[in-house]
Amino acid sequence: MAQLEAQKKLKIILENYFVGMKAPVAWCTSAGPAEILRALGFEVYFPENHGAMLGATRLAGKYIPKAHRAGFSGEICSYLTADIGAWLMKETPLTNAYGLKSIPKPDMIVFNTNQCREVAEWFNFYGREFNCPVVGIYPPRYLEDVSKSDIDNVVAQFKEVISVGENVLGKKLDPHELEKVVALSYEGTQLWKQVLDTARKKPSPLSFFDGTILMAPIVMLRGTKICVDFYKETLSELEELAKTQQEDSNQLRLYWEGMPIWGRLRSMAQFFNDNNSVVVASTYCNSWIFDDFNPKNPLESMASAYTKIFINRGENTKLAYMEKMLNDFDIDGIIFHDAKTCFNNSNNRFGLPKRLKDSTRIDTLTIDGDLNDLRFFSDGQTQTKLETFLEQLKSKKRISV
Amino acid sequence: MDSHFLGIDLGSSYTKFVVVDDSGTVMFEKTIQTLSRNRQTFQDIKNEIDNKFNISKTCSTGYGRNSFACDLQKTELICAAKGVSSFAPTHKCIIDIGGEDIKIIESGPNGEVIEFMMNDKCSAGTGTFITEIADKAEIEIQEMNDLAKNSTNDKVINSFCTVFAKTEILGWKFNGVSAEDIAKGIYLSIVNRICKLPVQLDIPIYLCGGVISYHPYLKDLLKNEFNTEVDIFPKPQMAVALGAALIARDEK
Repeated sequence: MAQLEAQKKLKIILENYFVGMKAPVAWCTSAGPAEILRALGFEVYFPENHGAMLGATRLAGKYIPKAHRAGFSGEICSYLTADIGAWLMKETPLTNAYGLKSIPKPDMIVFNTNQCREVAEWFNFYGREFNCPVVGIYPPRYLEDVSKSDIDNVVAQFKEVISVGENVLGKKLDPHELEKVVALSYEGTQLWKQVLDTARKKPSPLSFFDGTILMAPIVMLRGTKICVDFYKETLSELEELAKTQQEDSNQLRLYWEGMPIWGRLRSMAQFFNDNNSVVVASTYCNSWIFDDFNPKNPLESMASAYTKIFINRGENTKLAYMEKMLNDFDIDGIIFHDAKTCFNNSNNRFGLPKRLKDSTRIDTLTIDGDLNDLRFFSDGQTQTKLETFLEQLKSKKRISV
Repeated sequence: MDSHFLGIDLGSSYTKFVVVDDSGTVMFEKTIQTLSRNRQTFQDIKNEIDNKFNISKTCSTGYGRNSFACDLQKTELICAAKGVSSFAPTHKCIIDIGGEDIKIIESGPNGEVIEFMMNDKCSAGTGTFITEIADKAEIEIQEMNDLAKNSTNDKVINSFCTVFAKTEILGWKFNGVSAEDIAKGIYLSIVNRICKLPVQLDIPIYLCGGVISYHPYLKDLLKNEFNTEVDIFPKPQMAVALGAALIARDEK
C-alpha cells in the first residue's frame, strides 16, 4: 500500500500526545475505562502502547532479560517484561522518538483484567514503584452471554475508579463531561470501524499491518476530538484510494487472529504484498470497536462495551464472531498467531481453528511466534509455512500460481 | 535435444539435485552436504548438469531455496507433495522427517497440499536430534538401524530438548544400557514425537526425507504405533528434489 497522508498526520498527533502530556496523568490498560479518567481531568497514558513500541523498535530483546533477572518469567506477557525491563534500565524509545527523558509519571493507575491477569501484576508493579493509587477492574471473564448482573458488577467497580480519581484530583467528576467523552469515544470507535470496513473492498486499500499503526488514536486518544477528526480524514483518504484501485480477483484475502508480531510488521507486510495477498481483517484491530458506548448511559454502556470484548468471551461467542467476520470480509484463509507469552490472546489453543474450518471450510494456519519476544519466532520456518499456506489457498481457489 | 528440468533441494543438512526429462523420468541425481564453505562442489555439479542436459527450467526448494537463483522457488512441503505423488497418485498423508524439522502433509493425488503441519519451535525428533544423541551415546549413525532392530527395549527418552536428551543418555550409559537399547530408545522418542502430530491414519501414509533413508527401521516402529500400513517413498531423501524438478516441468 502507498504511504497514506494519514500516517504522516499520525506522527504529528503522537508527538503532540507524548510531548504535550502534563500532570495529572493516569495510566490505563488499552481496554480500560479511559473515558472516566479523561472526564475526571487526567491525561491518559497506555503502557501497552509503550510495550508495542518496544516490540516494533525491536528493543524488547534488550529489556526482557532485565525483567527476568528481576523475577518475571520468560513465559509471561512480553509487553510486561519488555516494559518493566526498560523501566529498570531507565530507558524508553520515547527518548529517541520524542525527546522525553522518561515515561510519564502516573498520579493514578487503572487496569482492567478483561484482557488478562498479567496487566494486574504489571500495573501493580508500577503502583509500588511510584507509590500511587492503583485500581483494578476485575470483570467476569470468558463470558458467552453478558448479563445485567455482570454489567452491574463492572459499574460498581467503575464507581471505585471515580471515587479514587476524585480523591487524587480533589474534585468531583462532572457527569456532563463524562457524557461528552463517551460521545466522542463512540464517534471515534464508529469511525474506526468504518476505516477497517474499507478493507471489504477488492482490492483492499488497507491491510492489517497498516491497521496496527493507524489504530494508535483509538487506543490512546479515545474520547477526544483529535481521534474523531483523525479517523474522519483517514476514512475519506481510504475511500478515495479504493476508488483508484483495480480489482484483482487473484489476490488472496486473509484474516489474522491474535497479536501482531511487532518486530516483524514491515517484513510481514512486504511478504504478503510480494505474494499477491493481503491480510484484510483481524480480531486485534477490531478490538477497539465498541458499539455499546452510549452517552445517555455512560457507565453501564462502558461496562457493557469493555466486558464484551472478544478476548473476554467464551469459545462459542468467539466462533460466531469470527464466522461473521470471515463472511463479511470474504476471507480465503485464516492465520492464527500462537504467541508464546500471550496465552489469553492466542485463540488457537482450544480447538477454534478446527471448529472454524469445520463450519466455514476456510483453511487455517497456525504460526508460532510472539508479540515482542522474537526468541520465540523463527523467520525461516514461518516463511516456509506461510508460503506453503498461500500456495495451498491458491491451488484451492484455482488461480494461477 | 530434449528439454530437461532441474530440481535442487537445499536442505538443512544435504543438498539434493534431480534432473527429469519431459516424461518425468529421472536422468540424474546427486547429494552433497549443505553449507560447505567450499562452494566448488556445488558449482561442479551444476556445471556437470549444464553440460549433460538441456535444462529449460529450474526450481529450488528447502531452506536455502532463496539463496540460489532458479526460475522457481517452492517450499519443501509443496515439493514433497509433488514428488511423493509421482509415486503414489492418491489421497495420502506424507511424513517428511528432515534434518531440522518434521512435516506432516495431507496431499491430493496430483500433489495438491490439502493441509500441513510442521514443528517450528525446536528440532526434537529430527535428523539433527538423532545425530546429536547418537554422538553422545557413542553409536555410529550407520550402525543405529541394525542395533535398534536387535533390541527389545521400549524405554523412551523423555526430554524433547536435544541438549537435555543428551544428559538423559549419559544416565543410560552410566546405568549400563546397551547400545542396542539406546539406539531403539532414540528411535522410539522420534516415534513418540511424530505421534503427537496430527497424522491422518485413515489414508495411506508415506515416509520421505533424509532420516528415513538412513533409519528405515523407524517405519516398522511407526507401523506398530499407528497400527496401519506405512510405506517409504523409494529413495526417500530425493523426494523433495524430485518434486521440485517435476514442478519445474509442469509449471507454466
